[in-house]
Amino acid sequence: MPEFKNLAAMIEAILAVAGDPVTLDALVAVAGEGVEAKQVEDAIEFVRLRHEGEGSGLQVEHVGGGWRLATRSEHEWAMREYLGYRARARLSQAALETLAVIAYRQPITMPEISFLRGVNSAAVVRTLVERKLVVVAGRKQVVGTPLLYRTSKEFLVHFGLPDLSALPTPEEVEQVAGEGASEP
Amino acid sequence: MDPAVVGGDAPLRPSVVLPVFEGPLDLLLHLVREEKVSIWDIPIARICAQYHDALRAMEELDLEIAGEYLVYAAWLLLIKSRLLLPRHEGEEKDPRQELVERLVEYEKVKAAAAELAGLVELRRGVEAVRFAAPAAPEEVELDLEDVDVLALSRALTKVLERHVREHPQTLLLEPIRFSVRDKIVELFELIRRQRSFPLLSHLLTRPDRLESVTLLLAALELVRLGAARTHQRRPFAEIYLTPTGAALPMDALTDA
Repeated sequence: MPEFKNLAAMIEAILAVAGDPVTLDALVAVAGEGVEAKQVEDAIEFVRLRHEGEGSGLQVEHVGGGWRLATRSEHEWAMREYLGYRARARLSQAALETLAVIAYRQPITMPEISFLRGVNSAAVVRTLVERKLVVVAGRKQVVGTPLLYRTSKEFLVHFGLPDLSALPTPEEVEQVAGEGASEP
Repeated sequence: MDPAVVGGDAPLRPSVVLPVFEGPLDLLLHLVREEKVSIWDIPIARICAQYHDALRAMEELDLEIAGEYLVYAAWLLLIKSRLLLPRHEGEEKDPRQELVERLVEYEKVKAAAAELAGLVELRRGVEAVRFAAPAAPEEVELDLEDVDVLALSRALTKVLERHVREHPQTLLLEPIRFSVRDKIVELFELIRRQRSFPLLSHLLTRPDRLESVTLLLAALELVRLGAARTHQRRPFAEIYLTPTGAALPMDALTDA
């Protein structure tokens, strides 16, 4: 059984080569026999705090059901400057609305999405599926058995969420909505 | 709702700043806010008029108006007319109720979309770190989380395509059912008996394409052998075969 600091360093190395979020289970499996999930969690937290504290250019983030090593947004301009790329293509308003509908009402069918938005959303949903932010989650057992859509792991990573429960709650969202309109 | 400057390049028309709407609900919500009225007590007549004004403005700017806008335009008119009818207390629900419910729901959608936009804004420049590790092992790890029906169907299509590529269709050789030699003899008999034989209609009425082709070859062969002549009045008209009187040189016929 590796000692604690050793375990932390090993986890950091794994995150560095993984790229995609690594689940706790996967890390526990690599750590070997006799290492408890709790110890691995502590070690992850140790690595995370070390990056927070030392003025590191990297961070350990808890997204998409796992942990991954990523750059920090503070240095966005520098990375852009060096790599010479323009800002990433932003999601359109239609895409954001459609994602919001799917995220909060999943699994949901295309007609239901279009109804809530007041416009036909087929093309937007198709784009979101192509961008892998949305996946098909079976069929609804109603007339016509329409496809059901849900958000993907990629969605969680894109928005920096560890899991769906981390989405702003409907109450929090409603507060924002209330600010814009006059309600009784 | 990014404002789009329209008509900026047309000097004769004043440039108009018209917000881009995501749909009829977005437009209605905008009008309600502009008027600073409560969403729960919408002055339908006023909002309806403004909604139709907005559609006209969009039309004048040659913006394509989606059908959904027209559906809501009709619905607004319907609600407006219902409100004009006398209503008895507690008998019927407010004709505006369903519209209000949809607007409230849509407002939540917009708010949630704004939240998501905020989340993503915080993450600009956050890129995964992936040091170039040696190539992945032979077995590709499947991320079961994101495998869905579409991924499965794509995989199946790939497998089927590869199967077709690796198992090309075997070449089918059909037995020869008609021989030119037989057809020459047959055709020669026909033109000798009929004197002027309509070749084209004969060819076109054969039930079998292969037979027509063989017959055409036979006709050409007859002409080449000097046993028949062809006549045609004008292009695309009937082609007649007439015998020259010469006998068929049987030994010149090949077994094709």
